[in-house]
Amino acid sequence: MRRVYLDHNASTPVHPDVLAAMMPYFSERFGNASSIHGFGREAREGIDVARESIARFLAVTPDEIVFTSGGTESDNLAVKGVAGARPGGHIISTVVEHHALLRTCQALEKSGHAVTYLPVDGDGLVDPDDVRRAVRPDTILISIQTANSETGTLMPFAEIGRIAAERNIPFHADGVQTFGKIPISPRETGLTLMSMSGHKIYGPKGIGALYIAKGTRMVSVQHGGDHERRRRAGTEHVPGIVGFGKAVELRALHMAEEALRVTGLRDRLWEGVRRSVADVRLNGHPTRRLPGTLNMSFRGIEAEAIILGLDLKGIGTSAGSACTSGSIEPSYVITAMGIPVDWALGAVRTSLGASTTMEDIDYVLDVLAPLVRKIRAMSPAGAA
Amino acid sequence: MRSPDAVGESEDPRCRDLARFYLRIENDRVREAWFQTYGCGPSIAASSIVTELVRDWAVDALGELTPEAVESALGGLPEDRRHAATMVVDALRGALRHYRAGAPRETSHA
Repeated sequence: MRRVYLDHNASTPVHPDVLAAMMPYFSERFGNASSIHGFGREAREGIDVARESIARFLAVTPDEIVFTSGGTESDNLAVKGVAGARPGGHIISTVVEHHALLRTCQALEKSGHAVTYLPVDGDGLVDPDDVRRAVRPDTILISIQTANSETGTLMPFAEIGRIAAERNIPFHADGVQTFGKIPISPRETGLTLMSMSGHKIYGPKGIGALYIAKGTRMVSVQHGGDHERRRRAGTEHVPGIVGFGKAVELRALHMAEEALRVTGLRDRLWEGVRRSVADVRLNGHPTRRLPGTLNMSFRGIEAEAIILGLDLKGIGTSAGSACTSGSIEPSYVITAMGIPVDWALGAVRTSLGASTTMEDIDYVLDVLAPLVRKIRAMSPAGAA
Repeated sequence: MRSPDAVGESEDPRCRDLARFYLRIENDRVREAWFQTYGCGPSIAASSIVTELVRDWAVDALGELTPEAVESALGGLPEDRRHAATMVVDALRGALRHYRAGAPRETSHA
């Protein structure tokens, strides 16, 4: 059976060159990068090269890159690190952030911080004027994603960066979905902190990074040794860091060309679905979107039925809604965009990537229209 | 199904699922069962498997169908999706009550 992977926003396969770069760091150059002997220095060199690659890619300096275990840790470090140095301060975020950010903010609310969660419009965009109005004298951090993982909608991060810079408020962005997919310069964007992840860009899982602009006042979240300039204690995940660095080098070479190609395929998929399926809508901004992300709602169908039906045909997609403990909740992102529940429950995310071909898209289109018809025919009239 | 001999449905409002069964019954035996279900994968799967499971059963045996039997026919359900089997059993019992009450004939939408 043909297998088509359309879930690149969840994870991506490790690029063979990345794997090859990592391999020596498991058993040959296995030293602890903190050791002063030759074994340690070999490991340290691997980390230094990776850090320089990432710094060059972002046009920042290597000492502004801190390696973490991934996007979730980067978000935690950014928000708790800044908040910890400014007890009781006010944070501005949005209702559509990743759980790594939302739940970190919720935890901070319990320890005396105030958080404003800004709404989004029907396309999933936050209004920069809302950000401006939300600023208070005690605002210590603005934390807004660069792009939403479910819809791919790109936030107006340049405008938000200007607002933050004018008021001298640190600006953090969960940049996991844009990093390595579209060019974002933290300096030009006015970002103080930006979270990144390895496995979304053909690197390994369990590695990520946080950009921290020089001079940013923060506390440690994880206590221990003096690793990462005392910003993140713990022996470095050297093979992961080396792989992450290699993945970023490859993105620098292929990102622009791939974005064009994948956008074309994504739009071909949407045009095909729109022509062949009734009662379908696009969730997210029509154009201001990640190159490979297409989120569609099929009215009157529960997304899981489509995802399982596609899975039986070898196609991997995802949904933001989830049925757990016998109660189904539509995606909080789709709901926040004001999309009615009979549409929201049928929201399916496809996210294309490097391996996606035109044949893949045509195969998905061949499968999807009959599948949706079949599930709708199965549904009791009135419920649909 | 045109002119089914019994129709039964059940819903689980918490998870917004709805299952409906149409039965063709001859000589007090289930000859054919159709389903229409709105819901998650497990609910659709449970609906589908019982239409095969109850074929040629004596009508009275429908009352003895248990969620456990549906679950075992499916090869198990995740802990938090057990309600799928319960809903399907309720719907079939509804069809049985409908039949015993002298089901008026109607045409399904399927």
